[in-house]
Amino acid sequence: MRRAQLLIAILSVSLSLAAPLVVRSDYLFQVLFRVSLFAALGLAWNLVGGYAGQLSLGHAAYFGAGAYGLALFSKAGIHPWSALLLAVLVAVLFAALIGGVSFRLRGPYFTLSTIAFAEVLRLAAKNLVSITSGDVGLPVPGLFAKSFVRSLYLAAVLLTAVTLGITAWVSRSKFGYYLMAIREDEDTALSVGVNAARSKLMVLLLSAALTALGGGLYGSLFLFIVPDQVFSIDISVEMAIVAMLGGAGTILGPLIGAAILESAAELLKNLFHEAHLLIYGILIVLVVLFLPEGITGSLAHRLRPRSAMAAPSSKEPDTVPK
Amino acid sequence: MRSVCASAVAVLGCALALTGCRRGTDRSDRSDEGSGNKVKVGVITSLTGSTAAFGQAHKNGYAIALDELNGRGRLLGKRVELDYYDDQSRPDQAVQGVSKLVDQDHVPIILGAYSSENTRAIVPAVTQKQIPLLMPTATADNVIESGSPWTFRICAGAGAYATRTVAFLKDTGAPKKMAIIYENTNFGQSNAQAMLEAAKQAGIEVVDSEAYQASSPDYKTLLQRVKAKNPAVIYFASYLLDATTLMRQAEQVGLNPAYYTSAGTGFAAAEFPTPDKGAGRNAEYTFSVSQWLPSARWKGSKEFDEKYFQRTGSHPAYHAMEAYVTLLAAAEAIQKANSNNPQTIRDALRELNMPETPFGPIKFDAKGQNQHPVLITQVQGGQYRVVWPVDAAEAKPIIPTPPWNQR
Amino acid sequence: MDSFFPALQAILNGVLTGALYSLIGMGMALIFGVMRIVNFAHGAFMMVGMYATYVLFERTGLNPYFGFLASAIYLFLLGYLFYWGLLKRIQGQSDFMQILLTLGCGLILTDGTQLLFGADYHQINLALLGKNVHLGRQISLNAPWLISFGIALALGALLYFFVMHTMHGRAARAIAQNPYAAPLMGINVHRVQAFSFGVGVAAAGIAGGLLLPVFYLYPTVGDQFTLKAFVMVVLGGMGSIQGAAIAGLVLGVVENLTSLFWGNEWALAVDFVIFLLVLSLRPSGIFGSQRV
Repeated sequence: MRRAQLLIAILSVSLSLAAPLVVRSDYLFQVLFRVSLFAALGLAWNLVGGYAGQLSLGHAAYFGAGAYGLALFSKAGIHPWSALLLAVLVAVLFAALIGGVSFRLRGPYFTLSTIAFAEVLRLAAKNLVSITSGDVGLPVPGLFAKSFVRSLYLAAVLLTAVTLGITAWVSRSKFGYYLMAIREDEDTALSVGVNAARSKLMVLLLSAALTALGGGLYGSLFLFIVPDQVFSIDISVEMAIVAMLGGAGTILGPLIGAAILESAAELLKNLFHEAHLLIYGILIVLVVLFLPEGITGSLAHRLRPRSAMAAPSSKEPDTVPK
Repeated sequence: MRSVCASAVAVLGCALALTGCRRGTDRSDRSDEGSGNKVKVGVITSLTGSTAAFGQAHKNGYAIALDELNGRGRLLGKRVELDYYDDQSRPDQAVQGVSKLVDQDHVPIILGAYSSENTRAIVPAVTQKQIPLLMPTATADNVIESGSPWTFRICAGAGAYATRTVAFLKDTGAPKKMAIIYENTNFGQSNAQAMLEAAKQAGIEVVDSEAYQASSPDYKTLLQRVKAKNPAVIYFASYLLDATTLMRQAEQVGLNPAYYTSAGTGFAAAEFPTPDKGAGRNAEYTFSVSQWLPSARWKGSKEFDEKYFQRTGSHPAYHAMEAYVTLLAAAEAIQKANSNNPQTIRDALRELNMPETPFGPIKFDAKGQNQHPVLITQVQGGQYRVVWPVDAAEAKPIIPTPPWNQR
Repeated sequence: MDSFFPALQAILNGVLTGALYSLIGMGMALIFGVMRIVNFAHGAFMMVGMYATYVLFERTGLNPYFGFLASAIYLFLLGYLFYWGLLKRIQGQSDFMQILLTLGCGLILTDGTQLLFGADYHQINLALLGKNVHLGRQISLNAPWLISFGIALALGALLYFFVMHTMHGRAARAIAQNPYAAPLMGINVHRVQAFSFGVGVAAAGIAGGLLLPVFYLYPTVGDQFTLKAFVMVVLGGMGSIQGAAIAGLVLGVVENLTSLFWGNEWALAVDFVIFLLVLSLRPSGIFGSQRV
């Protein structure tokens, strides 16, 4: 099952790479950019939220750090690509700090503390005017000179591919099993010798780095950022919903979630104008009520009885958190 | 495994169907462009969200200009059509709008956005896509100082607001101490910065400069702080919602400067002096910079006021007029360019000279800025009255502002 | 400058604002205590309370200081139905599903309101607004804020009484202490939870109604209060109603003192910093006795 998922994922990424052969319009590239960006972000969130079961709603902190880092370091005269790497470094530092505090908490306390950290960063970016120029905003360098939107789209697909590779590795490595053990029951995991604190922190650092890369690409597309845009709680929520909708803790889930949610968001906006958030909300509620394990998870459940008869003991590590 | 294969095929099928329909829309776009019996003008403004009140004023102003254009005859033999994009009062949405309007709808020019924040955010995008941008209402000066050759601004900016307010103060009693209260946004910060510099040059001491978080329910403590510094003048840079809260709470804390002055916007909105959508009697005596009033001396001002009143049942503030005249200027440039090409239209805008519009003469300098005179108004009897400069004044300024307990 | 009177004034203003925060926080604490659900739609319910009070005022001229009662009943019913229709169905699922559900419902309430009433803001103008009560020469308190403070105090006390001394309240506390043992003692868990959820969102709605005369309303007005409610609930000790009440007052005072000594734009940031400090140093909350 997992191998099949991986196969589908690789196929869809390759298909996405071929998109420039048929798509011409920059507008469509922008929509496709959003889809692949959120696929990458959903996968990055999925490492922490899906595999390790730590429900962060503060990933906007790393996203914003990526975008602001890119803008600020380039402003200081550093080459944009090096600036992006430095920004990722800063995001990882933030993650170390945030993880150090938040991972001591569990359940809703953890979730709320991640929100609080992201909010503190948002307000700091708004108010530290001498550094960030506050709500006036900052210009962000375009990372590509030629066929800008298309190149950014390809970069986003590449980021998705990298994140996918990391997810595939995590899902079958010892590290990944530690994470899943923590997700299922942290105390039991501790008692059998899993270093829970270290594993959780490591996966958060990884996730933060990938998220920051995504933030940098996003800022670069808009060429200009303000704090309320990149540090917004909406970003954190969207990342999580993408992963949950598709199926948290699966390889394919975030890809499906991003494809459905992001194209739906754009379509709904063009079709229903002011009602699009309402429909978005209804969609979320329906998924929670009827597909609690996400599309991939529920699909797997539907399909399992038949294959389960053939191999009743097949253990599936890649299901959703309890 | 069979089921997995089936689902794989399904996903692939979906993907192909998607690319298929994408190609479809792509093609229809092209054909649409060819069948040109209309001139599309892109408009980005805030129809929803926190600055929706101003976006609606924009929309009314644009609609009146559109009626006139299409009634007067055709532009380049075609009908003018407005292509709106609602930025939801959010900068990222405004940037998305540029992409939608240019890449999908192929408009040759964009008007907008409403706020300084959103306008600043779209400057890099229009520059990159090489589409002329005509700004009706953004007052922060960084929207025009980016060095982009594609941007033009109809309204006067923060720098002009500040220097004119200071000149007015020197003319009418030369107060010595000023406090600045501004919301922490692009609009607020740039107006506060401009005032800091203008006051310094004029020898007015700025005793306090307070940023605030917009849309809070409670500014009493902030106002208390200002009161303790005892300024003779307060200069506000606020949107409408906060202008109302600030003036209500100024009464509550008994803040009594000789002048309440402001960088327009919230303090110059048509709703501000009204009791049910604004500060009502608390708006009385406040000064504001203004770009235009229905009573302005330029020809066509009254007619615009009448048309606006017919359409909406209320009188326009300058934001609607700025939108109106922005569309007129865009049409004039398209006419002069005699083409649908962004570059040619841009060049026509550079050369544009409209000596008589209801908003006064319009002509852009090398930076793309229209030199527009700024007036000072005061709310008297629930109405905005021009009180300065003297040659344009309809009423005398009432100075000092009577204390709250003597009103 | 002599900072005694300004500071005293700021503290008093903070207490007046804080009482409304307390109502919002107590509502959320009740919900969290009985259901272990973090209600991300709390601010949206508050916003609905504001609109309900506003519509009553516009249509019938009913003064908001009475109108809030009607909107409280309306919100109670809304919350009650919300529980039976949605929340009950996902009991026992992960925290995150519950968070997602309330997030989605918040979106529905907010955007539904926007469709009904438009994105434009509304406000009401009571003559009371200009009335101030002076204490000595230096201190003055605004009448509408004083009235809402009094009402909030009375209702807060009532809510406390409800939880501590009524059958429903005892049952709710029993569920909070042990959700598995409570039904064995003959407690109808669903009914108590539905009732508590109704009361919890009604408290938020009342705060909204009381805020209406001194604020303005627009569809997303509640969002900032959802975040504040989280802060209060954690500060007070998750699920502790009296803790959340005190935390609300503390928040009001801290915000106003920050505003006085540092600047208004930092007030919200200080809220979150305190929140994080409490979470990392004393996760059971400053005032809470409940264990995490």
